[in-house]
Amino acid sequence: MPDGAPKVLDVRNLNTVFRTRTGEVHAVNRVSFDLEKGELLGVVGESGSGKSVTMMSLIRLIPSPPAEIRSGQVLFDGMDLLEVDDDTLRDIRGARIGFVFQDPMTSLNPVFTVGFQLREPLMRHMGMNRREADRRAAELLELVGIPDAARRLRDYPHQFSGGMRQRVMIAIALACDPEVLIADEPTTALDVTIQAQILELVRELRQKLGMAIIWITHDLGVIAGIADRVMVMYGGQVVEEAPVRALFKSPRHPYTRALLETIPHVRGKRAERLEVIEGQPPILGAAPKACPFRDRCAVAVEICGRENPALREVGARHRVACHLADADTGAGSGTGAEPEGAHV
Amino acid sequence: MFDLTTKARTLIRVSGLKMYFPIHAGIFRRHVGDVKAVDDVSFDIYEGETLGLVGESGCGKSTCGRAILRLYDITAGSIQIDGQEIGDLPQSALRKLRPTMQMVFQDPQASLNPRLTVEGIIGEPLLEHTSMSRAERKARVHELMDAVGLNRSFSDRYPHEFSGGQRQRIGIARALALNPKFIVCDEPIAALDVSIQAQVVNLLEDLQKEFGLTYLFISHDLSMVRHIADRVAVMYLGKVVELAPEEALYGEPLHPYTRALLSAVPEPDPDLTIEDRIILKGDVPSPANPPAGCNFCTRCPAVMDICQREDPEFREVQPGRFVACHRYGQSAENKTENENENETAA
Repeated sequence: MPDGAPKVLDVRNLNTVFRTRTGEVHAVNRVSFDLEKGELLGVVGESGSGKSVTMMSLIRLIPSPPAEIRSGQVLFDGMDLLEVDDDTLRDIRGARIGFVFQDPMTSLNPVFTVGFQLREPLMRHMGMNRREADRRAAELLELVGIPDAARRLRDYPHQFSGGMRQRVMIAIALACDPEVLIADEPTTALDVTIQAQILELVRELRQKLGMAIIWITHDLGVIAGIADRVMVMYGGQVVEEAPVRALFKSPRHPYTRALLETIPHVRGKRAERLEVIEGQPPILGAAPKACPFRDRCAVAVEICGRENPALREVGARHRVACHLADADTGAGSGTGAEPEGAHV
Repeated sequence: MFDLTTKARTLIRVSGLKMYFPIHAGIFRRHVGDVKAVDDVSFDIYEGETLGLVGESGCGKSTCGRAILRLYDITAGSIQIDGQEIGDLPQSALRKLRPTMQMVFQDPQASLNPRLTVEGIIGEPLLEHTSMSRAERKARVHELMDAVGLNRSFSDRYPHEFSGGQRQRIGIARALALNPKFIVCDEPIAALDVSIQAQVVNLLEDLQKEFGLTYLFISHDLSMVRHIADRVAVMYLGKVVELAPEEALYGEPLHPYTRALLSAVPEPDPDLTIEDRIILKGDVPSPANPPAGCNFCTRCPAVMDICQREDPEFREVQPGRFVACHRYGQSAENKTENENENETAA
């Protein structure tokens, strides 16, 4: 794609497989996407859709074995992260690509003070001495809205509340001014009022710091509020990818549509009965030869069982993996002749 | 849907319910204080309705649900089920009443015995409380599996062979086994995927219609509670701060906490910017050491002087609408005076 800002991350045809006693699980299948400078890419999917494994594969943070990255390229600043040696990767992780995980209690080390954990990346990656790191650590805690920052550096993770711990995690991730921040369900374990605080903080920090963010979540409400672009995953594949407005206003994949219809709202009209997606997500024993959503799809036709649809462009930066993506205009004829972007 | 205009019969009446957990400290394990998980809660649940109980983690909503079923020995208060007082009954007498009141738990993984088959799990309450023969039990289990949409042929499988949504169906079938009147659903969909949540909620609604069930639906998911509940109670730090019919509560929330809570729910619509979004500062205080006055006064955006001194009474401010806030239910002149006071302070 020639348009838009420069890419900071370009993922091509990523495939990750888990080897288990009962056989292989193809968790990530031919996933390709890019991330532009300064944008927030939301990644939506249910558990088992491959969203976390994809992002952990990017920086080889998944335990191998059982996981095995079969193929793919992850281009970051002219390097392929799947090819670089471990030392180079360690210099990138935590310094140029930061992470925030779902559960701040298990991702912070309980036996070290928060200050120690904040200083560690600063001293390791930025070559700061103890005093400089201390000052920067306090600045970071202040940045994420923790009051009395200098004193709280001496506290241990258990002395912070859930929301505060997540702020600490964000501060650690931001310590070395990363170009990319990967946040895996960072607000899922939090209460809504605390989640609102964190979302507000992320909006502020984006304006101040301008890094690109990948935000993994299953909550479409959160995505609608913060993302620039959204990628929907199902059965280890990307099924739809679009700018946030296009995705919510004119979703093209039957799964995206169904997902948007099943969720109840707190505002507006109350549905008499919830729409349901029947069945369950698939377990991927082999590389899929058919559309992973076909068994639950309301509009599936014969070809869906034969061929796994590839992602293709249906509008401006809008890609869909569905055999019927063009057929929904009503008329069944001449879909191929339709100009791209007609629906957006 | 449940009709509130007809005067419905009260099935559950909770008044002044308190559930304190003692804190012991020191070498003599001296009683030094209490975690006031549920602190003076009163409400009615009408026959055939769903009362939603919402709040953030630690607000006491689950404890409240469990206390109503007398899974705890309550600290104080009265609980009447169908006119019968159960607040002070000993556990032996409660056993006889258990068939009428059941519970569906949050985590279907943890609430099902992994060593029992589905038939064993759903049949266990029948074995405990009825004198059915083996064949009768099997027939009843099959009937229940049909009712919750589980395939009969799975009856000799074990819980681990099922997905989360199916396990929750097993839990629901077990709760239904003894034809209860009242079911406490404690976060029944919190552990499920988005596309599975709707399946379980629809099932609960169907079963309610079919068997005339009354639900207390405990959840932190405000949008799902809006969908399923007829009336909604909002809890904060051990107290119910607002209780109203669903439409009134979501349409025009009165309590500042309810407003903040609702405005914090992210809406799946990128065009919607909520202008008056209220971002609460700080965290929930510890229930072992609640603030003086109103429990919400430390975070309330509309706090007044009186809030730090006096605990507001939970009272009916409009027919069917209850709220515990000094901003409501006082005489008009008093109120304007307080508001002026607040403005000058701001």
